[in-house]
Amino acid sequence: MNPLLKVRDLRTTFTIGDSVARAVDGASFDLFPGETLGLVGESGCGKTVMALSILRLIEDPGEIVAGSVIEYEGANLLELSPRELRRIRGGEIAMIFQEPTTSLNPVLTVGAQIAETLRAHEEISREEARHRSVGLLDLVGIPDPDERASQYPHQLSGGMQQRVMIAMALSCEPKILIADEPTTALDVTIQAQILELLAALQRQLGMAMIFITHDLGVVAGIADRIAVMYGGQIIEEATTKSLFRRAAHPYTEALLQAAPRIDAKADRLSVIPGAVPPATAWPAGCRFHPRCPHAWEHCSGAVPDLLPLPPEHRARCWLVVEPHRRRA
Amino acid sequence: MSRFTQRLLARRRTVLGLVLVSVLCVAAALAPWLVPYDPTAQLDLAGGQYLDPSVAHPFGTDFYSRDLFSRVLYGSRISLTVAFLSVLLSVTIGTAVGLIAGLAGGAVDTVLMRLVDAALAIPRVFLLIVVLALWEGVGLWGLILILGLTSWIDASRIVRGEVLSLKTRDFVTAARATGIGARRLAWSHLLPNLAAPIIVTATLGIGQIILTEAALSYLGIGVKPPMPSWGSIIAEGQQTLGSAPWVATFPGIAIVVTVVGFGLLGDGLRDALDPRTR
Repeated sequence: MNPLLKVRDLRTTFTIGDSVARAVDGASFDLFPGETLGLVGESGCGKTVMALSILRLIEDPGEIVAGSVIEYEGANLLELSPRELRRIRGGEIAMIFQEPTTSLNPVLTVGAQIAETLRAHEEISREEARHRSVGLLDLVGIPDPDERASQYPHQLSGGMQQRVMIAMALSCEPKILIADEPTTALDVTIQAQILELLAALQRQLGMAMIFITHDLGVVAGIADRIAVMYGGQIIEEATTKSLFRRAAHPYTEALLQAAPRIDAKADRLSVIPGAVPPATAWPAGCRFHPRCPHAWEHCSGAVPDLLPLPPEHRARCWLVVEPHRRRA
Repeated sequence: MSRFTQRLLARRRTVLGLVLVSVLCVAAALAPWLVPYDPTAQLDLAGGQYLDPSVAHPFGTDFYSRDLFSRVLYGSRISLTVAFLSVLLSVTIGTAVGLIAGLAGGAVDTVLMRLVDAALAIPRVFLLIVVLALWEGVGLWGLILILGLTSWIDASRIVRGEVLSLKTRDFVTAARATGIGARRLAWSHLLPNLAAPIIVTATLGIGQIILTEAALSYLGIGVKPPMPSWGSIIAEGQQTLGSAPWVATFPGIAIVVTVVGFGLLGDGLRDALDPRTR
C-alpha cells in the first residue's frame, strides 16, 4: 500500500539572533490511508512543531529547512503555491488543537466559524453554509445544534468547544486529521467522550489520523502505530502492540515505566532522570545518551538510523545491533 | 442590560461624556428647529450690534447683529459633520493600512510603516495650512477630505499593533489551518476583533478633528464665512474680547464641552471594551 503522507528528513528551525533551535531535526515517517499514527513524546520534543510544519503553519522566525519533503498524494507540500496550499489545508489535511478555548475566535458565533471554513473551500451561499454547519454540529454530537450554532465560544463548555473544533476540521471531509493533544485541556470523562467521537468519525469518514499526545494511555487505545519522538527526531516506530510489548529504545522503555499502571503495584512512579535538552544544543551522538542508563562511548559519537527490528518495528538505538550492551 | 452597557455606565465620568455627546448630537440634528433666528441673518445693524446676553439673545449678538446662540448651535452642525466624516475617512484608511501592514509583514510592513514615520515628521497643521492656502475655495467637502487624509496615522499604527498581536493568537493559526485566505481572514476573523480599538480611536479622534477644524477656521482657512463655525466665531470675537467677551467665550465653551465629552466617552469605551481590564 502506498502511504498517503510521506515525511522525509523534515527539519524545522527557529533562529533568534545567533541561536538556532532545531525543533524538528530530521524526522521521517509514513502515514497510510485510514490508519491512526500516534505521535508520542515529552514536552519540547518537537511534536507540535512537526504538526504545524506539515500544514506549513510555521511563522517567522521559524523556517522549514530546504531539502525537507512532505509528500501528500505525490506532491511535495513544501513546493505548493499559496493557492494550492489553501486547498490542502482544511480540504485534504485538517488539524485540531490542544486548547479549544483559545482556538476559536471569541467574537464569532461557532456556526459562523464553521461556515467560514466551508465557504473557504466551496462556492456555497450563506444559508447553505449555515445549514451545513448545523448539520456538522449535529454530527459531532452537540445537542440543539440549531441553537448552539448561533452561540459564541464562551457560551460553550470546553468539551463542546472541542466538538466544534472537530466539526470545523471535518467540514470539508479531509483525508488526514492531525489532532494535536486534543484532549489534554479537558477533564478525564470528557476526554473519553472526545476520543470515542474521534474514533467513530474516523471510521465513518475513512480518514487517516495523526494523533499527538504525551499520554501513552490515550495513544494505546486509539493508535494503530506509534512513533516516539525525542529531541526533534523519531527514535522508535512500531505497531502499538509491538511497542508496548517490546519497546526497544531505552527512552521508550523509560516512558512506559513512568506511566502509572492499574495492574501493577507501585509505591513510587519511576521518573526519567534529567530533562529534555534545549533545542538549541542537542547533545552530540544519540540525543538521549546523557539520560540513558545503558549508554557507552559509542553513543556520544555516532547516531544510528532507525534500525529495523522485524517485523514492524524500528528503533534509533545501538542496542538493536549490540543487545549484549544492555545493563541489567 | 448587557455586561458591556453595565461596564460603560459604571463610571460617572463616562456617563457625563455620554450625556454631553448625546445632547450635542441632538442639538446639532435639531438645530433648524431649535434656533430662535436665522444664524446668518443680520437682525438690526443700526442698534443690535454686540448686545449683551439676554433672554432674547442668550449668547448675545455679534458685530453684524447676528444671534450668537443660533450661530453657535449651527456651528455644532458644521463641526460635528466635519468631524464625523473626516474620522470615518481616516479610520477607514488607517484600518486598511494597518491591516495590510500587520498581516503582510516583511517588506510591505516595513515600507508602509516607514511611510507613516515620514508622514509623522511633517507638522500636520503646517501641511493643512499649505494645502488649504494653495487650494482656494476648497469648501466643506474639501476640508473633510483633507482632514481625513491627514489623520489616519494613529489609527493605522493602532490597528497594525492589534493585528500583530492577534496574529499570534491560537484562533488565527486554527483559522489558517482550515485553508482560509488572507482576505477572508482579515475580513471575517480579524476585523470583528478590531472593532473595540477602532471605535475607541474614532471617538477620541473626533475631539482631535474638532480642535483642528476650529484652529483652521480660527486662522481663516477652514470653514468660510458667513457659514458659522466655532473657530471662525472665536476669530471674530477676538478683537472685542475686552468689550464683548461673550462672542469668543460661548463658541470656546462649546469646543471645550465637545472635546471633553468625546474624550470622556472614548476613555470609557476603551475601559469597557478592553478585554485586558475585564
